[in-house]
Amino acid sequence: MRDTVDPDFASFVDARQGRWLRTAYLVYGDLERAEKALLRAFTQLSMQWTRVDDPDAFVQRMLYLPALKPWNRSPAFPDEDDQVKAALGELTPAQRTVFVLLHVEELTEFEVGDLLGMSHTAVHAHGLTAFGRFRAALGAGDWRDAR
Amino acid sequence: MRREDVPPLLVQAADRLPEPDLADAAWAAGLKVRRRRRRIAVVSVIAVFVVLLIISISIEVGSRGNADITPPNKPPTPRDYLAPAGKIAGIDFWVAPPPGSERLLDRLETPLGDRLELPGKVRPLAKHKLDRVAAVVLVKNGDAYEPLLLGRDSSWSQAAVQLAPVDGGSPLSSGAVSPDGKVVAFPQPGKLVTVDASTAEISQYPLPAGDFRSVSWLEDDQRILVSGPGVAYRVLVGEGGDGEPPLVRIEGSDDPEAVTSPFRIETGHLMRYLVTGQWTEEGPLTLPVRTWVGQTFSSGSGVARLFVAEKLPEVPTMRSQPQGVAAVSTLSMRHSRLLILGEPFTGSAQTPAGAGDPSYVREPGCCAVLGWYDQQNVLVQVRGWVLAWDLDSGQVRRVTELAVGELALGPGLRP
Repeated sequence: MRDTVDPDFASFVDARQGRWLRTAYLVYGDLERAEKALLRAFTQLSMQWTRVDDPDAFVQRMLYLPALKPWNRSPAFPDEDDQVKAALGELTPAQRTVFVLLHVEELTEFEVGDLLGMSHTAVHAHGLTAFGRFRAALGAGDWRDAR
Repeated sequence: MRREDVPPLLVQAADRLPEPDLADAAWAAGLKVRRRRRRIAVVSVIAVFVVLLIISISIEVGSRGNADITPPNKPPTPRDYLAPAGKIAGIDFWVAPPPGSERLLDRLETPLGDRLELPGKVRPLAKHKLDRVAAVVLVKNGDAYEPLLLGRDSSWSQAAVQLAPVDGGSPLSSGAVSPDGKVVAFPQPGKLVTVDASTAEISQYPLPAGDFRSVSWLEDDQRILVSGPGVAYRVLVGEGGDGEPPLVRIEGSDDPEAVTSPFRIETGHLMRYLVTGQWTEEGPLTLPVRTWVGQTFSSGSGVARLFVAEKLPEVPTMRSQPQGVAAVSTLSMRHSRLLILGEPFTGSAQTPAGAGDPSYVREPGCCAVLGWYDQQNVLVQVRGWVLAWDLDSGQVRRVTELAVGELALGPGLRP
């Protein structure tokens, strides 16, 4: 491993760090935790930079899987005035992660399942429940009324 | 709210975040983690190696039976250590092998060889000088005696001097050889004769008329104590101090052989020689002694002399008067010891050849201390043999079988 940063690695990080920080912020509900998680994911990638076949999937797995761990569950968006963030904070970590990946990263339910190690059914259930609770929190009524 | 309304809401919620710059930090952190892992791997390998080394050493030590290493609570003893037979007057004693069994003892190698006998051919000392004398014997030539000197290489030389008998006997005293082994002294009527083995020079020192029988060297190799019954002189044979008289009368003794330096043992006392020609009491000595025999010989840490004892209930004897060698320590850290000379075996089918023969009985006068081989071995002449008594182990070894009469030993015995 070279002492100075690899140019390809720097280009890869520069191109994705802004988008993934925002996604992580929505998943973790805390900017500091999101930055730490993203830095840890990039650090892991840097150590295997020349050996990883799909760097995007590698980073996403390193970034979002820790949010589902039982010991990594801190309240998301505590004391938040923003209605959207407060609505996200009422979701469980799994629901919030699936919900964000489906609607921000625009992954399919199958891709989310592969990424998080969940079945398609579980992803579908989490996504449906999260959408309903998100809507309810914003006062948009029952999701079954939506089209 | 429809599903397509959600992404804009979420993007707007995270829209105002600062733009991160994580490339350099991530790469540096990766580098740091990688180095730390490498260090841990190296340290782990070293630790495993050290643990394996300690385990192997423990197994090795344990397999030798030394797993429980504890400091000894008493001084180590030699492998062939013999326990003392008991105590006499509070001093540990050993019993010497019985007469007739000397040939069966282990041997102490010396220039004397296995059997010391007069040589068939001897070279003159002037042609074959000796650097250190191992032994001195006398050969009788008519009424006179001629000294034969044995070198450390087991070669013999004859000194060109005729010695007169002293009191009708041999003029060889057991203390004849100087501490450095170069000069041999002989008491003669009215004079003292010395033979320098390294130069073949013969010297004579006049003495007052008297019956001198015993000589004993001072440790400086420059002076000799010459003694007869009740009279003794210190003779300067080397370089003395300014104005030192060549002959000084000193305190004598009824027993001429008692006058020795640097120590003398007499009944009741261990005494140290002073430069004034007197002896001062060094310590008390309580042994059941009837008479002392032979000269007192000193090593760095001990003094030895042979004695004829009163009845010893600890070592009963049937045919002979009990005799013993007293090795008295001059150092407080070491103990004094006794070697009691035993009797021949009697009436057993397992006895050595010749044992039980009355001619083997060690009568008083047969035996004497001849000197020290080293700091721990006393050389003792018994009937027909010279033995070495190891004070540390208690073992007695044979030195040589004697086929000569009078014998004096010197430092040339040692390698």
